[in-house]
Amino acid sequence: MIVKIENLHKSFKDVKAVDGISFCVKEGELFAFLGVNGAGKSTTINIISGILQKDGGKALICGEDLDKNIDKIKSNIGIVFQNSVLDKKLSGYDNLKYRAALYGIFGADFKAKLKEMTELLDLKDILKRPINKLSGGQKRRLDIARALIHNPKLLILDEPTTGLDPKTRITVWSVIDKLRSEQGLTVFLTTHYMEEASDSDYVVILDSGKIATEGTPHELKNKYANDYIKFYNKKDEAEEFFVGLGKHIRKERDFILVKLDSTNEVPKYIAQKPEIFDDFEVLKGNMDDVFLNVTGKYLKEV
Amino acid sequence: MQEAKKLCSLIGRNTKTYFKDKFLFFTSMLTPLILLILFFTFLRNIYIDSFTAAFPEGFSVDSKIINGMAGAWILSSVLSVSSVTVAFCANMVMVDDKIHSSINDFKVAPVKSTTISISYLISNIFVVTLVIISVLVLGCIYLAAVGWYISVSDFFMILLGCLCNILFGSLLATIVLSFVSTQGMQSAVASLITALYGFISGAYMPISSFSKGLANFLGLLPGTYGTSLLRNHCMNGYLNELANVGLPSEAIKGIRDGFDANIYFFDNSVPLPVMYGIIVGTCAALLIIYILIVILKNKNISFKFLDKIKDKFSKKSICEKD
Ligand SMILES: Nc1ncnc2c1ncn2[C@@H]1O[C@H](COP(=O)(O)OP(=O)(O)OP(=O)(O)O)[C@@H](O)[C@H]1O
Ligand SMILES: [Mg+2]
Repeated sequence: MIVKIENLHKSFKDVKAVDGISFCVKEGELFAFLGVNGAGKSTTINIISGILQKDGGKALICGEDLDKNIDKIKSNIGIVFQNSVLDKKLSGYDNLKYRAALYGIFGADFKAKLKEMTELLDLKDILKRPINKLSGGQKRRLDIARALIHNPKLLILDEPTTGLDPKTRITVWSVIDKLRSEQGLTVFLTTHYMEEASDSDYVVILDSGKIATEGTPHELKNKYANDYIKFYNKKDEAEEFFVGLGKHIRKERDFILVKLDSTNEVPKYIAQKPEIFDDFEVLKGNMDDVFLNVTGKYLKEV
Repeated sequence: MQEAKKLCSLIGRNTKTYFKDKFLFFTSMLTPLILLILFFTFLRNIYIDSFTAAFPEGFSVDSKIINGMAGAWILSSVLSVSSVTVAFCANMVMVDDKIHSSINDFKVAPVKSTTISISYLISNIFVVTLVIISVLVLGCIYLAAVGWYISVSDFFMILLGCLCNILFGSLLATIVLSFVSTQGMQSAVASLITALYGFISGAYMPISSFSKGLANFLGLLPGTYGTSLLRNHCMNGYLNELANVGLPSEAIKGIRDGFDANIYFFDNSVPLPVMYGIIVGTCAALLIIYILIVILKNKNISFKFLDKIKDKFSKKSICEKD
């Protein structure tokens, strides 16, 4: 158990940003924290990393109590903030050098670590340039290098891929996967991307500072996601047929969506009414669905 | 030991961040630049006219003394004003860190928050010292060209005076800006200081030319004495030379009074040692205040009353937006 949070509380004036949450992160796990804007994800992370003081509750991180041994915890966690906090006017090299020093890494140790990071994250061409001259993806790579500069056991990523193009997202993820498989790094992630949540080992969904639900993606999908059939043609006939069966349907401009209890029902319907199955699609429930059903909110504004 | 190395690294980072920020650097040079431009366009002639106005009829001296003295006077202005304005601008690095949450990146590292706070003060003193030394070197080159009458002992006293002013400016800026954490407050403080400080410290025109009430009020500000002691050391050699060539002591007193080498606190002349006492005492008081702030912040005791003020500020600005 690398992170153990019990009954954590934090309020800003009358906003209860974190309202009594408890969860655990296992060693080596990819842990995903989901929630709409303002759910309290960043606040939780800021408490764990020692930026904010909690109002109440207990936190054990890497075996240390947050109230007692904060410096030990700090050298065990690396964090990539939601918004890059590197010094814009300084070069990537300077940024990493000054940050490494804060962990007691100087001189030859730093050189070695820098070389490792340069290879891992392909930093060679960007180290000499000032941060404000870099692209979003290049900045993110430096953010990750900064977070990993002191060999942390736990890597916390606050929306690491928001605003990145698909190619850079893949790069970021390949680095994270590599670190996980090679060094057994534990990754604590907040994200708005459902694909990322689906790939994780454990998911906690946060809503207004409280845990709405938690489990593995598989468990959550089974519990909260529905399967659908989508009809692009013969919409009226399909509607009539399924309404007759007491199914929920949703009408869209191009298609209608029929909510199923399970995809196992589909062959039965095809046998019963083959003529309506002209241009259709069977959809397995996904994390988007889970999220919508749990919180009643869409995660991404469409 | 580790903590000391971390401190050095933070100081290096703060200093480099300041010098790499061209805009910040330019802003902090604004007041001294304006002062120099005004000096070379017309202030110089005004000063020279008022020096010679104090001379008895028919008295004439080598123009090197007069030109040099005008230069020495503006040099003392630039030195004292820069100590404060550069300190405020350079410490915007600290405010920027709060605004852009860069400070969080230090807070997640195993470094004491006291170390972070101290690093801002020391790097500020360092930056201001660098700027002051540059100004001093340029000023000396100019004075050497137009007329150098500063004795070695006076020169060392100028250095001591600069040190007092630097400490005063840096401590004041660090304390004031430790309560500033929004962009709005930042630009308000920056423009207030750069626009106002040159004027109230008597950098453009001597305080003696202000109205009695204002002059008395400025006598309450410790910075006034920091400026005046620099004026004393800068002008001393020139005034001695004027005495040597036979300028009556009354006329010399007139120049000293007129150009703030003598400062009157409600009609009482303030002697030089008292000026030192005031500025050193102020620095000591500021240092104690600063240490208290650092300790309280480290213990996470928040300044409730300040939070309330900030609340009011932000509520007001929200209302204004609506
Ligand atoms: N420093 C602060 N002062 C006051 N309120 C705050 C502060 N930080 C966060 N909040 C409030 O706490 C709540 C939770 O914020 P938090 O940043 O943790 O959300 P989040 O889940 O990270 O959202 P996002 O997806 O937008 O990053 C929000 O209502 C926010 O307005
Ligand atoms: Mg957030």
